Amino acid sequence: MKLLLIEDDKRMADFIQRGLKEHGHVVDHAENGKDGLFLAASGKYDAAVVDRMLPGLDGLSIVKMLRATGNHTPALFLTTMAGIDDRVEGLEAGADDYLVKPFAFAELLARLGALMRRPPVSGVQTELQVGDLKMELLTRHVTRAGQTLDLQPQEFKLLEYFMRSEGRVVTRTMLLENVWDFHFDPQTSVVETHISRLRAKIDKGFQTEFLKTVRGAGYCLRAG
Amino acid sequence: MLASRIFKTASFRLSALYGGVFASGFGALLIITYFTATTALREQIRTEVQRDLHALSVEAGADGLDTIIQDINERIQPVSGSTAYYFLADASGQKLAGNLTGIALRDGWQEAPLDASTIKNPETSVDEDHQLWGQGIHLANGAFLLAGQDAYRVLSAQEAIINSFAWSAGISFLLAALGGVVVSQGFLRRIDAINTTSHAIIDGNLKRRIPVRGTSDEIDRLSMNLNRLFDSNQSLLESLKQVSTSIAHDLRTPLSRLRQGLEEAHLQNNKSAHKAAIEAAIIESDQLLATFSALLRIAQIESGTRRAGFKQVSLTDIFEQVADTYRAVAEDQQKEMKLLVEQGITIVGDRDLLTQMLVNLLENALNHTPAKTTISLSLKQSDAGPIGIIADSGAGIPGDERQKVFERFYRRDSSRSTPGSGLGLPLAAAIASMHAVTLELHDNEPGLKVVLGFK
Repeated sequence: MKLLLIEDDKRMADFIQRGLKEHGHVVDHAENGKDGLFLAASGKYDAAVVDRMLPGLDGLSIVKMLRATGNHTPALFLTTMAGIDDRVEGLEAGADDYLVKPFAFAELLARLGALMRRPPVSGVQTELQVGDLKMELLTRHVTRAGQTLDLQPQEFKLLEYFMRSEGRVVTRTMLLENVWDFHFDPQTSVVETHISRLRAKIDKGFQTEFLKTVRGAGYCLRAG
Repeated sequence: MLASRIFKTASFRLSALYGGVFASGFGALLIITYFTATTALREQIRTEVQRDLHALSVEAGADGLDTIIQDINERIQPVSGSTAYYFLADASGQKLAGNLTGIALRDGWQEAPLDASTIKNPETSVDEDHQLWGQGIHLANGAFLLAGQDAYRVLSAQEAIINSFAWSAGISFLLAALGGVVVSQGFLRRIDAINTTSHAIIDGNLKRRIPVRGTSDEIDRLSMNLNRLFDSNQSLLESLKQVSTSIAHDLRTPLSRLRQGLEEAHLQNNKSAHKAAIEAAIIESDQLLATFSALLRIAQIESGTRRAGFKQVSLTDIFEQVADTYRAVAEDQQKEMKLLVEQGITIVGDRDLLTQMLVNLLENALNHTPAKTTISLSLKQSDAGPIGIIADSGAGIPGDERQKVFERFYRRDSSRSTPGSGLGLPLAAAIASMHAVTLELHDNEPGLKVVLGFK
């Protein structure tokens, strides 16, 4: 994948660049807003990582300008402010995701993965399938190997998110934000509790475990 | 010093202006009264003189000069109160009769000073102004007749008017100025109290307050508002002080742990020990970062900027969603969770933050109660607004500690071993206060009952 990194802090930029390259991505780096906008406008990137605070032209303006010219390169904002308004502001400007510095590299990688492989908005999907795990979205009927699974509403939502992110690492924060709409860090093991309950329902008694824990990063749903 | 300050005060300037306007009013009244009274008196004298002159000249036409001479001589007898003057001369200008001398033989109205020697009325004092107001006429035979009056009545009336006005204007101006001084002194004293208090507070005596009279006039209201400002200033400073102290204390421990761990790893020459130390360091610094971001979040919520994005949100939905999410957590901890929620309850607020408030309160109940506890969430409509209750049957919090748990980093001795940063309840309190929601802790007998009073 070809990625654009717009970041003025040299250490942070090196850290991100090295990490992304290790994971097989090609990274172009712009040190300021102007160069970044120029590169992003070429439209040849699969996704852009944009720092909010940049000399000259700030990240918010870059994304706004890109969107105004019809450029829909997925953009992920990086920010040092743990601001509660910043997330809303960033998403309103047209960014697709948002990450607060400092972050675990696995978190950035997982979020970029979700951005780049976002399925094109096509016809209405009525069924999701991962291996022998099937989910009918209209009847909310879930089966594994033909066997009906009885899921609570929140477990259904959680599984749906995993099935839509098949094969990708999903972090705890991503689950909190996308499944529960919690934009804060709970002090109890709420995610772990729901994961273990879901796992007990979809994997227990079956030969292969689909819902895997990725150490230091999160979870991943994969057939086999 | 005080005198010069009095002159500078707004209330003194106002009373001086008031006095000035008052005096000008007196002036206008004086001019009007003066002219009205003078004109009336003058007309009166003129009519009298003309009537007199007319009577005498008619007599002269009928009976000749001798009768007038006799008549005049009769009229100028010193009778009390008489102020009439006459002058009769023949055609050659020789005086024939009368009590005047040196009169210009001119027809028509004339006003001339009266010689003190000729003033005949003993009752009119010599001090007063005397003036002859009279009218002359040439009779048919060439003789000249003048009848007149001493105009001292008019003149003294004029003087009296001017005098009385001058006195009353002077006195009223003086009274206004005196009133101004008294009023401004009272005003100044109260302003001084405000200034002294402000200076004391600037100098660090944060507890000082402006005395309030209880009359709820403008200055009282100003003082009360300033006192309120000082109150919030004091509590902000205190919480700032408390936060800085807490940060210093509470972040030292994890930072020292971090440093110690890294130092130990540095001394060891073992790859797996290094790896473990790095992992531990990452976890430790993540916790530190979480604490910092919680502090930042509280500060941002307290700044209130997010109020601009308030929308109608369903409290019912939030309560149900949070309960659904946490029921599994409670079950895993062998606790029972009850939910009793009325449908269709909404308020204006921020959904994310209200969710976090409820989560923090619920997690507080989950984290600080033993197994077999029942935790109940309820939401109902009341006359004053929706009421939310998060109650548990755990150990509760003693009354004297209930307020302290809202202080940042405050951790009860009994909960040092349980997870938590000491920021969950302060954050919930900040969200509540931003939404003008009252957050009270009560004894649930046994346990803790958190009552949220929505508006």
